Amino acid sequence: MTLIVRTTTKLVSPFMVTYAAYLMLYGHLSPGGGFQAGVILAVSVILLITSHGYKRVKRKFRLKEVSLIESASAITVIMLAIAGIIFGSFFYNFLRGGEFGSLISGGIIPIFNIAIGLKVGAGFALLFYILLRWVESD
Amino acid sequence: MISLMVALPLLFAFFLSLISTFKLDKKFAKPLFIAGSLIPWLFLLISLKSSPFYEIVGGWSREGGIEIGLNDYNLYFLLAELIVFSAAALYSLKYFTNNTGKVYALLLLMHAGLIGSFISKDFFNYYIYMEIASVSAFALVGISEEKHAKTAAFKYLIFSLLASYLFIFAIGIIYLKTGYLNAELIKENLIITKEIDIALVIAFISLILKAGIFPLYFWLPDAHAKAPNPISALLSGIVVKSPIYGMLLIHETFSVNANLMMLLRIIAFASVFFGIVLMILQRNVKRLLAYSTVSQMGYILLSLSINSTLGVIYYSFAHSLFKSGLFLSAGALIDSQKSKNLKKLTYRGEPLLMVSILGLSLAIGGISPFVGSYAKNIILKGLTDYWVYLFYIANVGTLTSFIKMNYYLAKPKEVKAKSRSLYKALSFIMMLLTLTFGIYFGAEIKLISDVLSIGIALILFVILKRFNVFEIELKPKFERSMKGIAEEINFYAGMFGIVFLIFLLLSFF
Repeated sequence: MTLIVRTTTKLVSPFMVTYAAYLMLYGHLSPGGGFQAGVILAVSVILLITSHGYKRVKRKFRLKEVSLIESASAITVIMLAIAGIIFGSFFYNFLRGGEFGSLISGGIIPIFNIAIGLKVGAGFALLFYILLRWVESD
Repeated sequence: MISLMVALPLLFAFFLSLISTFKLDKKFAKPLFIAGSLIPWLFLLISLKSSPFYEIVGGWSREGGIEIGLNDYNLYFLLAELIVFSAAALYSLKYFTNNTGKVYALLLLMHAGLIGSFISKDFFNYYIYMEIASVSAFALVGISEEKHAKTAAFKYLIFSLLASYLFIFAIGIIYLKTGYLNAELIKENLIITKEIDIALVIAFISLILKAGIFPLYFWLPDAHAKAPNPISALLSGIVVKSPIYGMLLIHETFSVNANLMMLLRIIAFASVFFGIVLMILQRNVKRLLAYSTVSQMGYILLSLSINSTLGVIYYSFAHSLFKSGLFLSAGALIDSQKSKNLKKLTYRGEPLLMVSILGLSLAIGGISPFVGSYAKNIILKGLTDYWVYLFYIANVGTLTSFIKMNYYLAKPKEVKAKSRSLYKALSFIMMLLTLTFGIYFGAEIKLISDVLSIGIALILFVILKRFNVFEIELKPKFERSMKGIAEEINFYAGMFGIVFLIFLLLSFF
């Protein structure tokens, strides 16, 4: 791709990551949440792939690491849900506390959002990696 | 504790995908997979001991949470799932050799999805878990090394997703009109309106497409015949039962209108006979068994259409056992003799497999001490006047097609290799289970009618053989190219549209 596209995507990508992080952390207070955050996180990587090519992006974001993040975050979600059983029932919110409307008032929900965001982001990125293996160009 | 039945297989599935990232498949994949597939047994026993047999996830109220539970309706579905999956899991330990971590992860995802769909008392949750099971099923069909397996997987994917979208649309209408997704709450607050009637028709037709019943069966034979052997056993045994559980859930929640029930009965009989005719014409043993599934699913739908809930439950249970047993034992033969053609396969020299295939064939034909006869009796009690005779004819037809299968398998042929002992043992265990459950349920022994139906079936078989019916060759309707696949999918999607419209119109006359 041209220099213009490359520079713009390089400029935009970090902001998208920040936005994804915001959506993950504030998912319980404002519109957003894990899934949306994950998609935006993945798009920041996919934009880089389309402008710079699969081979160059793969050097920074390794397939193994992406795959690791994906499985590890899924395990975190289920472990958290199972941990709820000790306190009463499956998926029980055992970390309640904090003032209403504040960042820490969500209990385990922000943790879920972060894990799901990472899982979805890594999943989408992985999907692109695997598809692009077949249509390697650039 | 009921929720852990789903959570732990899921957890193990993700652990498996984690270890396959680090290429540790050889060391850890098998123990993790076996642990994940057998742990639900433990939690089933624990949750059957302690009293509330239902649970609301997250400790919310029933209105706000997702209800899961065990009751008379789903216990046998669950039991069938656990038995069939355990057998298929042990079978696949030896079957899959490369990339085991990922394959086992997919299998465990399917396990979790099936258990989740069978324990849910909530339409949306049921839908989600059914989807988890079928999405892993597409992938598992696709990994088969057989020719055109990927095409079959693609076709399965397209039609299964079409069904899912329509089903979620129907759930949407129900939610819009009642305000609940929980089956019990819907039942309490139900006012039948025209919209809900339409939603029920849509839900039924989409579940029929997902279960592969006659006019909408087209994805089933390819997908079930081309999947790897243990996967075929799972698909035919239990994955097609999850839409049946959905139908049962709908049937118990709403009062379905009489026109629709009559239509379902006609479709069910059409499916039974269509399956039998195509079974008689097949030469590939796995395709024969796949068409048998089309026919047997007809029996289950028939039982639903005559409001015989017990019939649905017991027939689904029985069909899970004998069909997965048949696929496993046919798979053992295919694996050692490297062919799927009935004319090249034989069970001579493999007495254990011979006994299991014969026993399972008798079970599927409804011969008395086996579990099939108990289930068939329940359905038979619900039928009246001329439907009973149709049912007997169907039974004789099923027996004829299985006599044909056994006739070809019993001919001595040159055999190079013996089957693996694990495969033989598993097939034999499945046969014993069909027998044990038949005796446990207390199937009546009906010597005269059994002998009579086998006799008529034998005569029919001889007549068909004399007229060379078994030599008829079926040509594929569509060519095996990209264009052919596209044409095929378009054609069947159009057919689905027409059936859908007919259903909608006829249900309200």
